[in-house]
Amino acid sequence: MACLLRVVLLNRFFLYGISLTGFLFFWDWAAIHSSIAKFLPRPIEVYHQLIHMTGDTLAGKTLWGHLWASLRRVLIGFCIASAIGVPLGLFMALNRYVRSIVKPVFDIFKPMPPISWISLSILWFGIGEESKIFIITIGAFVPALINSFNGIRLLDPSLYDVVRMSGGNRRHEIFEVALPASFPAVFAGLQIALSNAWGCLLAGELVSARAGMGFLIILGMTVSKPAMIIGGMVVIALTAWLMTVVLSRVERIICPWKRELQL
Amino acid sequence: MEKGASIVIADHPKIVCQKVSKVFTQRQGQVRIHVLEGIDLEVRRNEFLVIVGPGQCGKTTLLRIIAGLEKPTSGQVLLDGSEVTGPGPDRGLVFQKYMLFPWKTVQGNVELGLKVRGVPKRERRDIATHYIELVGLNGFEKAYPHQLSGGMKQRVGIARAYANNPEVLLLDEPFGQLDAQTRYLMEQEVARVWAAEKRSVIFVTNSIDEAVYLADRIVTLEGKLPGRMKSSYRVDLPRPREHTEKPFLELRHKITEETELLL
Repeated sequence: MACLLRVVLLNRFFLYGISLTGFLFFWDWAAIHSSIAKFLPRPIEVYHQLIHMTGDTLAGKTLWGHLWASLRRVLIGFCIASAIGVPLGLFMALNRYVRSIVKPVFDIFKPMPPISWISLSILWFGIGEESKIFIITIGAFVPALINSFNGIRLLDPSLYDVVRMSGGNRRHEIFEVALPASFPAVFAGLQIALSNAWGCLLAGELVSARAGMGFLIILGMTVSKPAMIIGGMVVIALTAWLMTVVLSRVERIICPWKRELQL
Repeated sequence: MEKGASIVIADHPKIVCQKVSKVFTQRQGQVRIHVLEGIDLEVRRNEFLVIVGPGQCGKTTLLRIIAGLEKPTSGQVLLDGSEVTGPGPDRGLVFQKYMLFPWKTVQGNVELGLKVRGVPKRERRDIATHYIELVGLNGFEKAYPHQLSGGMKQRVGIARAYANNPEVLLLDEPFGQLDAQTRYLMEQEVARVWAAEKRSVIFVTNSIDEAVYLADRIVTLEGKLPGRMKSSYRVDLPRPREHTEKPFLELRHKITEETELLL
């Protein structure tokens, strides 16, 4: 009997189940009895709201339409940021002239929270797509660059000695050592960039938008429908998580040698 | 005539260090560290020379100078009579911390030097396979370094150094990271591999026992900086050697007493 209990308790999925069910029950209890119950929908209400939104249009779009509006902004901003940030970070690590020219300017902009650019970007680009993509690009650019840069800078220099002992030149040092060794750090940077991108997207959409998940959340506040707000939060979380999973899969294909890290 | 010529070649020293000194300067020359002072050393063709010294006595620096990865402050290193000016495939270096490329398989790691030197793929594979077999790793060609134990990693390191077909093998405390049991086994393996494919060897260690087991000749360094040569011992014990034979223990005892080293 005690043995059976141990087997059940050691099963990680059993405990996951307990954790999630417990959370849902607590939420449900709070939605009925707590002091914020008036503006805290029950889980089942959030579910119904989401189902409802997939069929009905809000501001001309269903839930999928709004999700796509947001996803598109994130993807464009993330791709621009990676396409510039990763190569620039690698070049900075490999070439001291590039480093000396780019780093001082980069260091000025690095500590600025990307959200602080919102007002400027609206003045520059208006309240359309461009201003949101601009914020997302800035937010994703910084971690993409820093991690690519450090991925090469923090290498054990003895790895270059291996190539040099074989008579290799600078080209071999870069293509046989520096670039492959930087991949895990580059991917770690892209993961952070992706999560920053969602943060910036939301900030941008909360300030001004006519479509997107941030717009839905603001709409939920305006019409006093907390189920809409929480539904929006859940959908964002799921989508961001799915993108992280996809990125991890890509990394595992490109870097099969990397030991899997447990979070 | 033929015989006489071969004797001349055999007597010709492979490596000569002439009054090699090394001073490292730090903080714009304010701090000067004398690491090596007037090292004179000769290694004959196919001789197994072991350099013994405690930690921080400059023995790794000496090896890196012979490898061409560091320049001596004064003095010079000659390989077959011509001065060493940089690293090259005529010397193979085995690192204490293995320095395998985690993104390459065992096969890829062993092939690395050949790839850098532009050896065709087929030939590369045959050479690598030969040395992987020589170090007893057949069956692990497709494994990644993180899947190997410390002893196996260093086997790869040795195969990688051999694959360039160097005239001189330089081993920098190659078993320093291994546990005592594995270390003991690897000493036997190095002796076996060297007997199968003879090269001039410079082997750096802090273990007198390891030195007596492997060496044709042992050179001890002084225990403090700057590193100076202390004594030289010829080891004429028959191979394969036994750690428990009386002559072995006597020689070990003698060197230990004179070196004031802790075993």
